[in-house]
Amino acid sequence: MQDTPLTEYQNQLREAGVQAVVLESGPIMLALTGVRWGKSERTFAAIIPAKGDPAWVLPGFEEMRARELIKPANADIRVWQEDESPYALIVKALKDRGVTTGKVGIDENARFFVFDGIRKLAPGLTYIPAPAV
Amino acid sequence: MNRRAFLATAAAGIAQAQRGGRTPIDPAKLPPAIKNLRPMTDGVKPITAEERQSRIEKARRLMHENHLGAIVVEPGSTMFYYTGRRTPNSTLVIPAAGEVAWFVPENTADTPAGDVRHGGDSTKAVTQILADRKAAGRIGIEERVRFATYDALHRESPAREFVSADPVTIGCRVIKSPAEIALLQRANDVTVAAYRAAFSTLHEGMDQRELSAYIDAAYQALGFRGGAMVIYGKYTAFPHGSVQPQTLHDGDFVLVDDGCSVEGYQSDITRTVIFGKPTDRQRRVWDLERKAQDAALAAAKPGATCESVDAAARKVITDAGFGPGYKVPGLPHRTGHGIGLDGHEWTYLVKGNKTRMEPGMCFSNEPTIAIYGEFGVRLEDCMYITPDGARMFTAQSPAIDRPFA
Repeated sequence: MQDTPLTEYQNQLREAGVQAVVLESGPIMLALTGVRWGKSERTFAAIIPAKGDPAWVLPGFEEMRARELIKPANADIRVWQEDESPYALIVKALKDRGVTTGKVGIDENARFFVFDGIRKLAPGLTYIPAPAV
Repeated sequence: MNRRAFLATAAAGIAQAQRGGRTPIDPAKLPPAIKNLRPMTDGVKPITAEERQSRIEKARRLMHENHLGAIVVEPGSTMFYYTGRRTPNSTLVIPAAGEVAWFVPENTADTPAGDVRHGGDSTKAVTQILADRKAAGRIGIEERVRFATYDALHRESPAREFVSADPVTIGCRVIKSPAEIALLQRANDVTVAAYRAAFSTLHEGMDQRELSAYIDAAYQALGFRGGAMVIYGKYTAFPHGSVQPQTLHDGDFVLVDDGCSVEGYQSDITRTVIFGKPTDRQRRVWDLERKAQDAALAAAKPGATCESVDAAARKVITDAGFGPGYKVPGLPHRTGHGIGLDGHEWTYLVKGNKTRMEPGMCFSNEPTIAIYGEFGVRLEDCMYITPDGARMFTAQSPAIDRPFA
């Protein structure tokens, strides 16, 4: 299978010993997935594991609009409702990809509140800046 | 809802669809309703230096209460709130005790007055400022500071604890002063004037970008910066629209959402109006939406929890057989958000938010009824809490074919 920006990045993560990265909309998300999403107070994140398929965590009422953008059609999309925690879904997605210890990269342009929400629920992970593409 | 937040970072979807192909309209070709608008800039009173100073003093009190030695802020609405500046690439430190200090990479004409450090990197400068101010204990990081900034500070001082600055920044920003309410009122008045003019231009076959461009032009004529998301027909069921291009046809709903900025303060108004003759179903759902908005307004008052206001609006909609909860057809999102220097800010009208309303808080009131495949209706006006109850900044839409009274 031909390398794509995503599989190349996953190789890079494995070489660097990074288990997964969590991305907000920005240059890395765009390069790996082609998705651009305006940042708002509602967390919209892509979880890129070193091994396995990406997972998406996004607001429930935006699912229809998000599905216009996210490929493939059967992508792993997890939605949070307005009174639910997106961070719980991010941590669950990491766990589902086998990431419960070790290094997790955070998009360097991710906002502090997104990181803070994740670290409170997963204090055992080591957070580092996500490697550049 | 508010579009600017996601427009600012090149939104997918509507934003792109509408901005992408837009060419500036020849001013001579603007409809008279837009062309005849006159500036509404008279009498706008910016926030005074004294008021900004009192905000910093309140922040210091909240830092003491929350055992924070300082807060760290990057350019954005919080920096503007405390200082009146959004100096690019700067870092602001507000210590619990002592003078505010800045890191600004290079000295320029726009450099703030006071203790400003230049040269080198921000991490070392901020760490030095914290030491100089003897900032003890935990350091608060403003919610939108970039992870990279936090991470570098943390590496430089691994023994220090860096936590959310929310109790300080939200604690200050959530209560609006009379001067802030006056600026929000102006922003709302300007948006009503822009929409009123724009809605008078609707015509069969109108491209959504044409209406959106008229609203931009209206704001320009009124003397402020603003914009709008325009959605037609079945796409009104998606609260933030669709990437699909749309043209207006008889019987379509027209949904226009967003606002403008006055001295940084944001308006956010949505109108859903029928173009042509409504069906009975469109009329029934529109009337129900208006009742839901009324219920939220009636429930909002000092002492009421934020979640109770959401529940009041939601009950009207679910009692009519929609939902339940966030299920569509129904109300797929919270009933409202705080509004001030950000179009969406703390605190939110959402289940689980037991924050009690206090005078000076400002919220949007915008229950949507979304029916995928058919249409959506959203009426959004913003309200502020007074000792006597909630007051709307704007008169609500009186009828399906009348966006304004």
